[in-house]
Amino acid sequence: MIWKLLRQHLSTLQLAGFFLANLVGMLIVLFALQFYRDVKPLFSQDDGLISGDYLILSKRISAIGMGSSTFSQRELDEIRSQPFTGSLGTFTASQYKVSCSMGIEGVANFGTQMYFESVPDPFVDADHSRWHYAEGDPIVPIILPRSYLAIYNFGFAQSRSLPKLSEGLVSMIDMTLVLRGEGKEERLRGRVVGFTNRLQTILVPQDFMEWSNRRFAPNADVSPTRLILKVGNPADQRIAQFVKSHGYDVDEDKLQAGKTTYFLRVASGVVMGVGLLISLLSFFILMLSIYLLVQKNTQKLQNLLLIGYSPARVSLPYQLLTIGVNLVVLLLALGLLWWLRGQYMQQLWAMFPTMHQGSMLGSILLGLVLFLLVSVLNVLAVRRKVMAIWQG
Amino acid sequence: MQEIRLSHTLPEVFAMHDDLQSEVWQQDVTFLRGKTYLLEASSGTGKSSLCSFIYGFRSDYQGIITFDGQNIRRLGVGDWTRLRQRHISLMFQELRLFPELTALENVLIKNRLTGFKNKKAILQWFDELGISDKVNSPLRLMSFGQQQRVAMMRSLVQPFDFLFVDEPISHLDDQNSRSMADIMMEEATRQGAAVVVTSIGKHMELHYDQILHL
Repeated sequence: MIWKLLRQHLSTLQLAGFFLANLVGMLIVLFALQFYRDVKPLFSQDDGLISGDYLILSKRISAIGMGSSTFSQRELDEIRSQPFTGSLGTFTASQYKVSCSMGIEGVANFGTQMYFESVPDPFVDADHSRWHYAEGDPIVPIILPRSYLAIYNFGFAQSRSLPKLSEGLVSMIDMTLVLRGEGKEERLRGRVVGFTNRLQTILVPQDFMEWSNRRFAPNADVSPTRLILKVGNPADQRIAQFVKSHGYDVDEDKLQAGKTTYFLRVASGVVMGVGLLISLLSFFILMLSIYLLVQKNTQKLQNLLLIGYSPARVSLPYQLLTIGVNLVVLLLALGLLWWLRGQYMQQLWAMFPTMHQGSMLGSILLGLVLFLLVSVLNVLAVRRKVMAIWQG
Repeated sequence: MQEIRLSHTLPEVFAMHDDLQSEVWQQDVTFLRGKTYLLEASSGTGKSSLCSFIYGFRSDYQGIITFDGQNIRRLGVGDWTRLRQRHISLMFQELRLFPELTALENVLIKNRLTGFKNKKAILQWFDELGISDKVNSPLRLMSFGQQQRVAMMRSLVQPFDFLFVDEPISHLDDQNSRSMADIMMEEATRQGAAVVVTSIGKHMELHYDQILHL
């Protein structure tokens, strides 16, 4: 009965205007966030094994190949003492000969000379039950660069009419490793446990590297040629200056990826800003129409208050109306977002088959936060308006 | 609530007048629960203002008004809502009904808040007041006299200690006035409440305990 009174002068046109504007605003905000979150991993190269916050540092190789390419202890200490350095690890290279043959079910059909490198285990985010080697273990876990697989699949296999290999399949392939040095030879089995975009090298566990170098090349110089550096902020200006002044190299693609991510962030930020602006405008449309409605129904609201209705009770229908509209907008926006995401995710999957599924959780949370924020403001505004009527 | 006391109360608009002759303004007046009062006044002497002050929707007065000793200027929103639901009822001179609703709905909208009467009792009143055929008519189609009767019923569907009726019978004939007075006094007596009737001429024939000239 109160609703029958208070819905007088309710303009469906204004309500529809708000509804559409709010829907568009909310959808743009959520879409920008969702798209950013879905696409960002493709640029940041965070592949779950080596975190994107690591920089790989090496010495610049001069044109004539002069000068030492290894880092001395003094240089290491200097880098370690820099304010931007979180933790520092060195790459250790194998100092003996490795040959590897691959085959399925024991039939070797692919052989190559190769080398290993290792970094301290804390720099590798792999499961430690798999990323681990103790002397006498028959299987050596290996992490391969993803680009090697691409070279094989799109270069080698393509030209030789060989089958293409998926990451899952490669993990099942038997690798026979033959280690030679100091007149000793040992056969071991290798098993690929993961792929990384971050390091262009064949990684083995540190424990294996120490054991094998001790066994096959006990007298070799193991000064590191490359360093892995954990930094707080890879965009820190001091890093670039330090690297330049000492003639070091930082992996370029990391910086490129950083720039792309930066532009992606800016673009998403601008789109989100536009969405927020539209949401803000739609919020004002709603507030204006509610104010207008309350204004037109002032007499009725006042009479209800005078016959004993509390301001809270009189405000409730309008508050429920705005909350209801906001809720429908939220649900519809999430529904549309889900559909839109389905559309572009198909495209992305076609381009990047290895990308992670991701989730809409962030967008749902942001949607809920926006919904709550707008609803609370609406509720307070209606309440304020009714209290103004109470006070005459 | 047992008493309403006015101490040197005066509407601010009258503050300039120094020749005021009144038995209420700038006097000490007490309304007691259970008694019946008539406030007689010519128009423009502030009787509706008095109702507004006591009902808490205007406070442009000097002096002090107390309910059982408590200054009503100190009452909050919640207090007034409670008072209007359980302790004071006012039949407004301008009625303040809802033209969009039917006659019955105008009474029910208050009764729904208090749950004080059942629908049967309300329909009985419609019958006694001679508008049983208008129960479901939109209020805006009814005459002012008929609307006055609806407003009276609305003011009675709540518990109250004091009932203020502001010119209740200005548009009623004698017989309808009597019916209205009977219903009103029956309810007030049953509740042991005070009744304060205002009038600018024609007034309800009741046994008044006190007649005051504004």
